[in-house]
This record gives sequence, C-alpha cells and structure tokens, in this order.
Amino acid sequence: MRIFKIIGGGLRALFGKQRVEQELDEELRCYMETAVEQKVRDGAAREEAARETRIEMGSMETLKEQVRDVGWETHIESFLQDLRYGLRMLRKNPSFTIVAVLALALGIGANTAMFSVIEAVLLRPLPYRHAGEIVRVSSTWDRNGTLTSYTSSPPDFFDWRDQSRSFSSMFAYRMGEFTLTLLGEARRVNAVMATSGMFSTLQAEPMLGREFAAEENRKGANHVVILSHRLWQSAFAGAPDAIGKTIQLESEPYAIIGVMPADFRFPLSASDAYVPIGFDDKVMTQRGAHYLAVLGRLKSGVTPAQANDDLSAIMAQLRKLYPDKDSKWGVRAQLWSAALVRDIRPALLMLLGAVGLVALIACANISNLLLARATVRHRELAMRRALGAGRSRLVRQMLTEGLLLALLAGAASLLLAYWALVAIVRFGPADIPRLASVGLNGPVLAFAMSVSIACALLFALIPALRSSARDVSGLLRTSVSPSREAGRLRGALLIGEVALSMMLLAGAGLLVRSFVGLSSLSPGFDPKDVLTMSVAVPDAHYKNSAALQSYWEQALTQLRALPGVASVAAVTPLPLSGDDFSSSFRVEGRSVPEKDEPSAELRFATPDYFQTLAIPLRQGRTFTEADRLGAARVLLISETAAHMFFPQGDAIGQKIKFGARGGYEQNEGEIVGIVADVRHFGVDAPIPPMFYVPLAQSGMDGATVVIRTRGVPAALTQPARKIVQALDRDALVSEPVPMETLVSASLGQRRFYMMLLGGFATLALVLAAVGLYGVISYSVAQRTQEVGIRVALGASRSEVVAMVMRQGLRLAAAGLAIGLVLALLLKSVLKGLLVGVSATDPATLALTALVLFLIAVLASYVPARRAARVDPMVALRFD
Amino acid sequence: MTAPQKPGSVVQGTLDMLILKTLALQPMHGYGVGLRIEQISKGVFQVNAGSLFPALRRLERQGWIHGEWRATQNNRRAKYYMLTDTGRKQLKSEAREWQAQSAAIARILEATSGEV
Repeated sequence: MRIFKIIGGGLRALFGKQRVEQELDEELRCYMETAVEQKVRDGAAREEAARETRIEMGSMETLKEQVRDVGWETHIESFLQDLRYGLRMLRKNPSFTIVAVLALALGIGANTAMFSVIEAVLLRPLPYRHAGEIVRVSSTWDRNGTLTSYTSSPPDFFDWRDQSRSFSSMFAYRMGEFTLTLLGEARRVNAVMATSGMFSTLQAEPMLGREFAAEENRKGANHVVILSHRLWQSAFAGAPDAIGKTIQLESEPYAIIGVMPADFRFPLSASDAYVPIGFDDKVMTQRGAHYLAVLGRLKSGVTPAQANDDLSAIMAQLRKLYPDKDSKWGVRAQLWSAALVRDIRPALLMLLGAVGLVALIACANISNLLLARATVRHRELAMRRALGAGRSRLVRQMLTEGLLLALLAGAASLLLAYWALVAIVRFGPADIPRLASVGLNGPVLAFAMSVSIACALLFALIPALRSSARDVSGLLRTSVSPSREAGRLRGALLIGEVALSMMLLAGAGLLVRSFVGLSSLSPGFDPKDVLTMSVAVPDAHYKNSAALQSYWEQALTQLRALPGVASVAAVTPLPLSGDDFSSSFRVEGRSVPEKDEPSAELRFATPDYFQTLAIPLRQGRTFTEADRLGAARVLLISETAAHMFFPQGDAIGQKIKFGARGGYEQNEGEIVGIVADVRHFGVDAPIPPMFYVPLAQSGMDGATVVIRTRGVPAALTQPARKIVQALDRDALVSEPVPMETLVSASLGQRRFYMMLLGGFATLALVLAAVGLYGVISYSVAQRTQEVGIRVALGASRSEVVAMVMRQGLRLAAAGLAIGLVLALLLKSVLKGLLVGVSATDPATLALTALVLFLIAVLASYVPARRAARVDPMVALRFD
Repeated sequence: MTAPQKPGSVVQGTLDMLILKTLALQPMHGYGVGLRIEQISKGVFQVNAGSLFPALRRLERQGWIHGEWRATQNNRRAKYYMLTDTGRKQLKSEAREWQAQSAAIARILEATSGEV
C-alpha cells in the first residue's frame, strides 16, 4: 500500500501546497537556529556562527527545491509551470513562433506524408490471413547473368506444386476480361482465372456458397463462377438466391457457386469474378507457354529461402528431363509482399532518407533561432539560476518549450501532410501497388508524433545545455554580448544545413536531368494527336476470320469518315499499353535446334498503322490492303530485329516460321520490309526486336484502334465509340485514351520520384535560405555597435556590405564544399534511378552549387544592406 | 604518509538506512539526526542539510518515518521524526543486506593471493 501513501503524499503536497511549504520553511528555520545555537555553545561568536551556518546550508531556495524534487508531484507541477511559461514565451514572440512552427511543420509534414506512402506500400500487411506466409513463385530467365522474373507454364506449376515439400498449398492464376451478359445487357468484367488451391492459399472463403472443387480445374467442367461482393450487389442486388443461377460469360453459361466477402480483394485490387482456369490435356505438353502467376503458402516454420532451395532442386530435375523446353528457365520464390515492391522499395527508402534530411535541416534552423534567442535570454536564465533553479530544471524548462513548439508544428503538419496525400493519390502513378490507399491512419499519426518529439529533442537540447552551462555570476555581470562559442555553433549548424541542402538539391537535379533526357527520347512514333481505343468483339458472333475481317474493315472505314480524322489503323498489342505478345521463330533454311530458336515480339497491325503513328519505313514496303486472308503471308521486321537476326542485311525476302516453342504457333510469312524501332515497353526500357503481321492475316478478335486527328483528340472520343458499338452491340470498347497519356504514364514512377525529391529539395533550399538569412540578420543586429564605429571612422557603405556578406558567404561556401562531398555519396543511393546521366555529373553538381550560392548571396545581401544603413549616432548610443 | 581523514559524505545509498537507524533509537528533529550521525560515526560522516532534508522528505513519502510538530527543550517548535512499523521492517532488511554486503567486501579485501 506504499504506492497509495506515495500518491497521497503527492496529492496533499499538490493541493495543500501552502501548508507543506510553510512547514518546510519552519523546519529549515528551526534547523538553522539550532545549528547556530550549537556553534555558539561551542564557543563561536553569534554572528560568526550564523555566517558559518548559512555557508554550510547553502542557498535556502536551492535546498527547498531539492526537497520539493523528492516527490513526483513537483515534476508535474514544474512541467505545467514550464508549459504555461513556454506558452507565454511563444505568445510574446509571435514572429519567432510563426517562423519556427512553419519551418518545423513543413519538415514534419513532408516526413509524415512520405511515411504514409511507405506505410501503405511497404509496411502494411497484405489483406490476407497470415500474409507473411504467402510466397510468389516465378520462373526466371537467365539473360547474361541477370535473372528476369516471368510468369510460369502449367506443367512447371504442377510439378512444383506436387513435388515441393515447403508449401501447404499453391495455386496459379491469370487475369482475364470477359463479356458478362445479363438480361441482354453486356458489360466488361475483370476475372481471375485460378486453380482450385486459391482459397486455401489465401485463407479466404466465400461468404455464400462454396469454393472451386479440384475437378473443376478441367476444361469443360470449369463453367462455374464465384462473384465478387461488388458484382453480386450490382447484378443481383445482393439476393442470396443468386447461388445456382447462371450468367453468360463470353456467351457461355456459367453457374454461380459462391460470393466472396466485401473486403476480399485479389490480386490486391478488386476483381469482379473468379472462375476455374480450365486446363485440358494438351496443356501438360506446353512447358514453354509461360502465362501463369503462381502463389504458394509456406508450411509453418519454412522460410522463403528454404522454399526457394526446394523449388530450385525440382527445377534442376526438370531441366534434365526437358532439356528442350526448360533449358534456360529457373525458379525463384520470394515473399509476395517483397516481390510486389522489389523495384519500388529502394526508391521509396531513398525518398524517406531525403525527407529525413529535410527534417534535420528544419531542426538545425530552429536550433539556430533558439540559440540566437538564448543569447538574449541569458540574463533571465542567469537570474533563475541565481534564485535557485538547478541546471536540470532549466534544461527541462527549455526542452518543454521545444516540445511545445514541436507539438504545435506537428499539429500544423498534419494539415500539410493531408494536402500532400491528396496530391499523391491524384497524381501518383498507377503502377505503385496500394499507393491509392495512403491515409493519415494510426501508425502514420504515431509516426508524426514521434518525429515531432524527436525534433524537439534535437533542436532544443543543444541550446538548452549550452545556455544553462554557463557560470552564473559571470552571466549576471556581463552585458548582452554574444559569446564566440555560440557564434561558432550557429555557424556550424548553418554549414550543416547548406551541406544537406546541397546534397538533396544535387540528387533532385540528377533525377530531373535523367527525366528530361528520357522525356526527350522518342518512343519511336509520334504520339501527338493520336487517340487509342481498344475493341474486342465476341468470337461467337463471327463464324470465321473473313467475317471478323469485314467487321474491322467496316469499323475502320466508318471511323476514317469522321470529320477531323486524318488516318485510322488497328494494332495489337498497343505500344506502352503494358500488353505484349512474343513468340519463338525459325528462319527458313537455317537449321537450329528447337531449343535454341530465338524469340521476338509480335505485333498485328493494319496497313495504315505505320503512317498513323508515323513509324518510318527503312527498307522494302509496308503492308497494303492486298495483304489479306488468302494472299501470300507477309511480315515486317524492326531495325533492331534486322540487325540482330540478319546482320548481313539480307532480311528482306527471308521466310519465317513461328512458334515451335509456344507462342504464335504454326504461322509463317515472308519479310517484305524493315521499319523503325518502337520502344514498346517504355522509353526507359530496352528496345525489343519486333515482327509485324498483317492484322487481316492473323484472325485476332481484338485490337486497339489508333486514330490520328487533326486537332484535339478528345473531341472524337464519343463519336468514335458510338461507331464501333453500333456495328456490334456486344463489342467491348474501352474508354479512348490519348497516346500522349500513355507515353507520359510510362514515365509515371520516374516522374513521381522526381517530383517528390524535387519537392523535398525545394523545401531544404527554402529552409537553408531562411536559416542563412536569420543567422546573418542576427549577427548584424549584434554588431550594430561595431558597424557604427566603422562607419564613424570612415568605412564606406559598400565596405560594410562586403564585410557582412563575406561572413555569410564564407559559411555558405564551407557548406557547399561539404555538400559537394556528400553529393558524391549519392551514387549508390540513386543507382537504378538515373538513366543517361552519371551520379557525379559535373554540370548538375556545378549548377546546383551555383543556385545555392546565389541564394546565399541574396540571403546575406538583404541583412548586409540593412547593416550599411545604420546611422552611426544611433549605433553608438545603442545599449 | 596518509592524508588526514577528512569528514566525508555518507556512502552512496546508505544515508536512508543511517537515518532510519538514528530514529529507531528515539524520535528526533532534523538537526538532531544530522548531529547524531556525526557523533556516532565519530565525525567520519557529516550530513549536510542539502542531503538530509530531501532524504527525510523521501522517507516520509515512503511511509517509513512520520513527522510530528513538538516543542524542543529550548521551547522551540520543531518537527520530530519517528520510525513507523514499515520503517522498522525496512531498517531491518536494509541492515541485513548491508551486513551481508560489507562482510563480503571485507572478505574480498582481505583475500591473500593464495585464495584468489
């Protein structure tokens, strides 16, 4: 029950404060008198005894303070006191408060926003039970020592699943788009086509009905569907009797066997429906057909690395068993959560580091302001110490003031962070998973709070320790004179600020240069004024390829007739769309073992495609209307393909046969022309070798219409859609997208990183400029007297300006020199984010240094001019 | 040659125990406690007000001693401290602890090379 006594004693002291204080006074007085009496009894003179006793007891106030400090209540009391005092100080100096809170809020706000991105993308667990056990298994292809991850083939998947011992379950899936027809109305739905292990691997169950049965994996038995909660709501208004009903997918009946819960999302974003993938017997022979994504759940206690070894051993066996198909393929297992952000993680961590530096700069700024203020406040502090405040008491008080500032700033920063997040969601690239789910949630708020407190400690501790360390009597005697040491400390902080800003600015500059370089690269075609719109018609509507071809011909002819259309073509897959189609092939007359056949990208295009996208013809001819079904099969190849496969320049006239190793099977053609390269995978990606096949000879039921307009492409969106849909009511037409949007989206991540780092660097620059201005202004104010004397003795205005500016620029130069060295460290951090520019690019570094130097000149010129205007009479009378 | 023994401060952490022991003999006011410790230790320990009063406050808060205002011999009002029951228990356990420790330290200091 001691605790109650301790608490009770404290409460009594808090509320019966006066009585406790009186008692203490009386007790000490009694002690003193008794001591004096004792000394007198021992033979001392009374006055001498009193003096000795006072010396022995020391300062009465200090003594009382020590006694008070014993109880816990004094800490609360002094904290509240400090808080009140701190608030008063902040209110009394509104300009200091505003500058400090604003600077800190910017620093903390940027950190909070960045952290919430990290939280949403990297830290938040995937939305599945025990998501840390889910592993992504991918096939790898060894290209000159670098492993690239690919999707996997069905036979490989089954061998992994059946032979590995690391997984409690494993499944494969692919994404598909279906036309769902319900009550005569067609809509496009996103569906996951998965094997039956999906639900046990994800540990999710349908909320209604059942999951897939193993036998439903087989083609023919797979006409069952599980609806997403959303589709169930919109198509069946959430009626439970939807189970057992039939819907039409691609004009075929599928029985509804289940409904997933509302919070189920797979893969990560919501899909509309889940259907069994439906393998037939032939599929087991297609070891080269890589199109399945594979996920597995680890048995408890098994690490991803062990699973990786397990699968690699199996793969080694498969390579021996199937040397022709699996020769170069490997396998990799890694945590799904890690696999998702493999390429994004380093960039985000780099940005978190950068924004941390911004917070450091903000702290250095506030520290500087506080140091400057401490010089002004030193008399107050000295007085308080003389009156009995211990050193720790003063440090505590100054820390409380710092904490108060930081918490105010922290609150303000939430608003800034909120705005930043709105912008990030709006303008962030779509290919960073879960970026759209950022928010100011619990972990983020906790982070903001911790950063605020950490900042308070950082910026308040140095001034607090410094200003309380000084000798009391000395302080009371001297007039306001800045100590040299304080000046040096502030100078050092400022140099640090400039150096860190230099580093950030250099990093941002490098990203900007890299980005500008990439943006100016041509994607290989002219995206200006081109509108794209993907069209898919249901197979079942067209009895044969000829019917399909006539649909395309009609559609393109009618589109061409629209006013404002310059030319129209169709292609699949569209450059920069994220889709691709590749196939192995052999050149007729060259005998190459099947397993060594090269492969290339395949595109299917109408004759006007090259003219519409302005892809130049290098040699031979492009397609004509005569290259149709039944006519001789022809091909075009890209320049890169021509160099790669026909280095002698004899490409034209060669005959090609596709697809011995899977891909575009059993097709062939003669090369009739060479066209320029297209950067299909993005302007920052390698140029792939490419073949073109006439769309009319391909029998493809879907393609993307590309329309070159004379004017604003957006004006044509609605008319174009109407034409395509009027020809086939069930045709699936995507929302038309300008080609330029695709081009800019392909650099979306790079733009995002550049904008963020650029924003952080700008913040750093502003903070450093404010810091420099503050330090120089303050020192000018301190040196008013000196300047007055100099002017009185005949110094000219320009000499005064030069003197003040020299001080500022010396600090800035030191900061720049250190910053330059720091910037060289960027090399390893920015690796992978820079294309076409070296991390030590001298031009960028020089320009960055120049910009910072000019800012420094400006920041010291303003106070220097003020110094030069000092009236010597006023200055000499000062203080 | 050894320097003359200066009156030292109390060994860290033992002041509380010494105060409890002093008060176990009889209730006393603050000055009396300091004086008595100095006397009994033959001047080896000097307790100054800066340590004494915080210690008294601390012990009082712990509930080990209890203060009461009484008149002194010189007819002055002074706060007399006395041991509470828990304080007596505390003293006992601290004394036991101390004896065990000091005996151990003594053994270590007297160890000869043969024993080590």
